[in-house]
Amino acid sequence: MHDALVKTDFITEEKHAAGRHLVLWRPTAKTGLMGWLTTVDHKRIGFLYGISALFFFLVGGVEALLIRLQLAVPNNTLLTAEQYNRMFTMHGTTMIFLAIMPLSAAFFNFIMPLQIGARDVAFPRLNAFSYWTFLVGAIIVNIGWFMKDGPPNGGWFGYTPLTTKTFIPGHSIDLWVMGLQLLGVASIAASLNFIVTIINLRAPGMTMMRLPVFTWMTLVTSFLIVLAFPAITIALVELMMDRLFGTNFFEVSNGGMPILWQHLFWVFGHPEVYILILPAMGIISEILPTFSRKPLFGYPIVVFSGACIGFLGFGVWSHHMFTTGLGTVTTAAFALATMAIAVPTGVKIFNWIGTLWGGRLRMRTPMMFALGFVWLFMMGGFSGIMHSAAPADSQQHDSYFVVAHFHYVLIGGSLFALLAGIHYWFPLMFGRKVSEFWGKFSFWVIFIGFNTTFFPMHFLGLNGMPRRTFTYDANMGWNNGNLIATIGACFLGVGIAIYFTIMIYTYFKGERVGRDVWDARTLEWSLPNPPPEYNFAVIPTVHARDAWWYEKHHQDEIKKENEEHASAEAAHGGIHMPHQSIYPLLSAIGILIWAIGVAVIDPSPEPGIHLKLGTVFVGFAFMFVSVYLWALEGADGYHIHPEPESAAPALSPEAHK
Amino acid sequence: MKFSSSAFPRSRWVSFALALAGIVLLPGCWWEMNGHQSTIDVEGPVARDQLQVFYTTCWVTLVIFLLVGSALAYATLKFRARTKADEDAAPPEQSHGNPFVEIGLIGASVFALVIIAVPTLRAIWYDYDVPAMEKANAYSINATGFQWWWKFEYPNEQTEPDSTGTRGLVTTANELVIPAGRPIHIELRTMDVIHSFWVPKLAGKVDMMPNRGNRMWLEADHPGYYWGQCAQYCGDSHAVMRFRVIALDAKDFADWLANQKKTARVVSVAQDEKIEKARPVFASWKQNQTGFVTGDQLDISPLDAWRAKQFPEKEEDPALIAQGRHLFQVKTCAGCHNVRGHEGVGIAYPDLTHVGARTTIAGSLLENNTENLTRWITNPGAVKPGNKMWVEGYLKNNIHLTPDDVAALVAYVQSLK
Repeated sequence: MHDALVKTDFITEEKHAAGRHLVLWRPTAKTGLMGWLTTVDHKRIGFLYGISALFFFLVGGVEALLIRLQLAVPNNTLLTAEQYNRMFTMHGTTMIFLAIMPLSAAFFNFIMPLQIGARDVAFPRLNAFSYWTFLVGAIIVNIGWFMKDGPPNGGWFGYTPLTTKTFIPGHSIDLWVMGLQLLGVASIAASLNFIVTIINLRAPGMTMMRLPVFTWMTLVTSFLIVLAFPAITIALVELMMDRLFGTNFFEVSNGGMPILWQHLFWVFGHPEVYILILPAMGIISEILPTFSRKPLFGYPIVVFSGACIGFLGFGVWSHHMFTTGLGTVTTAAFALATMAIAVPTGVKIFNWIGTLWGGRLRMRTPMMFALGFVWLFMMGGFSGIMHSAAPADSQQHDSYFVVAHFHYVLIGGSLFALLAGIHYWFPLMFGRKVSEFWGKFSFWVIFIGFNTTFFPMHFLGLNGMPRRTFTYDANMGWNNGNLIATIGACFLGVGIAIYFTIMIYTYFKGERVGRDVWDARTLEWSLPNPPPEYNFAVIPTVHARDAWWYEKHHQDEIKKENEEHASAEAAHGGIHMPHQSIYPLLSAIGILIWAIGVAVIDPSPEPGIHLKLGTVFVGFAFMFVSVYLWALEGADGYHIHPEPESAAPALSPEAHK
Repeated sequence: MKFSSSAFPRSRWVSFALALAGIVLLPGCWWEMNGHQSTIDVEGPVARDQLQVFYTTCWVTLVIFLLVGSALAYATLKFRARTKADEDAAPPEQSHGNPFVEIGLIGASVFALVIIAVPTLRAIWYDYDVPAMEKANAYSINATGFQWWWKFEYPNEQTEPDSTGTRGLVTTANELVIPAGRPIHIELRTMDVIHSFWVPKLAGKVDMMPNRGNRMWLEADHPGYYWGQCAQYCGDSHAVMRFRVIALDAKDFADWLANQKKTARVVSVAQDEKIEKARPVFASWKQNQTGFVTGDQLDISPLDAWRAKQFPEKEEDPALIAQGRHLFQVKTCAGCHNVRGHEGVGIAYPDLTHVGARTTIAGSLLENNTENLTRWITNPGAVKPGNKMWVEGYLKNNIHLTPDDVAALVAYVQSLK
């Protein structure tokens, strides 16, 4: 496969690349602003995803703290009802679509190609386009903070008919609809890219059953995104048509069916839950074996259960709708399907414990977060099983019990894994290692803060407190639980602040470390840090599941093999690199313009071409021209000839602590 | 900056101690499970059945948690590298798993889920509709959600004819009165967005979906006063879209219903005595020694407070009430609110024919007393965000009320027993 790539015609086009005319200008800056705006390097794009995600994580965190402060005491007036409703809508939307998902995407981008021994993703410019479109979507969702109509206020699942024009006439919902639509475009483009990359660009010998589990979960997640997002796309188009053109998909007075929205939304929304948790499970399945110093227990069954969750995840959506009057048979079917999905999830937990069993556990910070993940995700899983019992769920649904449940799986689950992943791969990304003391300190503050915030919410929910309420009366027995939760939230906020302060400090002044600081097992750790632009000087040949671990223990064989490959590649003109391109960014700017036209600008009462329609036209024209030039400039690249790497994998596992 | 874990056991013990303290302190709210909307301290067969299912899931998951958690804790503690030498020792055996362990654990998980599934399936059918053998005894109610209040209709109860001879269904708002000990069949509808009808002590929630006829059933074991709330986000005032359910024994319920069927009460000096005689008499309730239950006592004895509300206020000023009735018409209140037998004709907003006999106002947000009524009628926008009385009424119709106007309206509203 690797040989075939090197020999393809379009890759040996080097001589045509120079001297193009002005329109098809090829940016070459590797540094500075232009370098970042035109980059097609998966590692840089991963970094951009990561930074954006962390920024929005901060925004969503501030929203969360405001929510908790409002609820600290009964009948509080810190926020008005309207402000509070905007706050929880934006908190949910931001954390799901603008923080957790892009943070997972950052790891997909940065780590996955390195784990399969690839030099980039399959479509580098499409990858850049995915990022810029994600950013445009994020801007559209958040632009309401600076507008008269305010940010979205329909809840993160935007139930109709509340979100129709009859009940929320302003632009706030238009922003939400358009923003989510664009985030869907970005996610689908990125996912197709990842799927093609994993299927086609694996290093020789990297069979599917040798893929690192994180890469497997990237693949499953990408399929989930590609299959799930069309459902919400349809729902959002219908809602947009209702709002902009007066159609009646959801308009009750014209016979619309609001229940249709819920089915479409949750057909997306439940796989989305797994889109958020599967990458986390992948990260955990990398970290636990590394720090237990033994392979993942039951690799095939962990992979299979991940895929199984992906399939079953499409068959349980109506458990979000147990109270909508589904009828007995439907309720029973979805209750049983939901219970069934607990089995592959439980299997993963068993296998993680099996991985620890008989290991020699190095309790480093990533390991602490990973173990924290297993505990908290397990608890979130148990409350999930409670919800699968539909009659019990009719009491818990839309109460704080549910709020507790999904924060246990999304913070205790997804976020803990992502925080573990940042710690774990930080040395690879930046060549510096976070202080163990401060890392563990932040872990304990976050762990305690998290539990103090969300554990009492189980009791609040069982005591009848509904979610999404901006206030509550003092006589309901909810005062203590809420106050404890608010104190916990402040503690959690402090923990997160410590965590990121240390990260920033480490980025600039942290302890420098060599290659493979954790004595890890997968290919990305075979690279120097930070990895060079071309990743692998020589495409590795994979002989075993834990490829790097095998290389470390079969150094002579690997050395000989690498020398052969290096000379073969040199004969084909060196390492082929894709050209940078400005057109992904310009296409995204075109999208931004028409999205503003659709969602931000008021329609004019007079007929004809006015500002709204004009902006949409200009945006579309801009986008089409950019995409056309993107196609016209071609997929050519250039070759580089790196120095033969002196620091070839000549390190023994014990040589670097 | 660099600290290894084994070099600083003290910091680790501090962390452990903090974690432990947290875990012990957290369930401090555990015993606060008997609030007005508790799903644990339930008082009806439907909620009790749902609670049984919940307990089943609790016990099963608790057992799994203890087993899996112990294994996880044991593995973590037992196989932890405690010293530098430990960390640097040769890697352990590179084992890849054990199919028998895997299959055994999958089998055990499936078994645990079957334990949950069986009572779940039984309860899905039981909770869905009034049991067949009790159908004959069931009582029907229609509940309709509005932004942000509730309309309750009694489909089998006709009102007495008003002056024009028109009859209608007995209709009330925000306070649902039901007979205790009888299954109540509720048809759920909405006039605008999705709402969700939830009285935790009596039954789990069921949504009011536009273009869809949902229904549910519940039953109160004994007479009582129950708190309910909308559970589906429905816009600005979702958090304060509350309601109450008052369960009465057969005799009290019949008395209450008889009064509801009457047209609105008229207070005049001459008629006063007559009205006194016509008031409902509650067999099981004795007015307490200190007089009428008011204010904070709503919490202490809410059902008594509700009963006290059924009687005319102690000091009524017929002149002020007459002025209020006049203002009710002049200030266009009558256009939206129905007061059967009086001038009120609106049907899209809460029926006020017997509003004075309710314990709460403004979508059960406020207790029904002079102070709150004054606050509410003076400036509804400041009490309940986005409410229609403010947006569609006061703002659109340019309604301005002087304090005297408000006092008269309050007296009138309070007289509508």
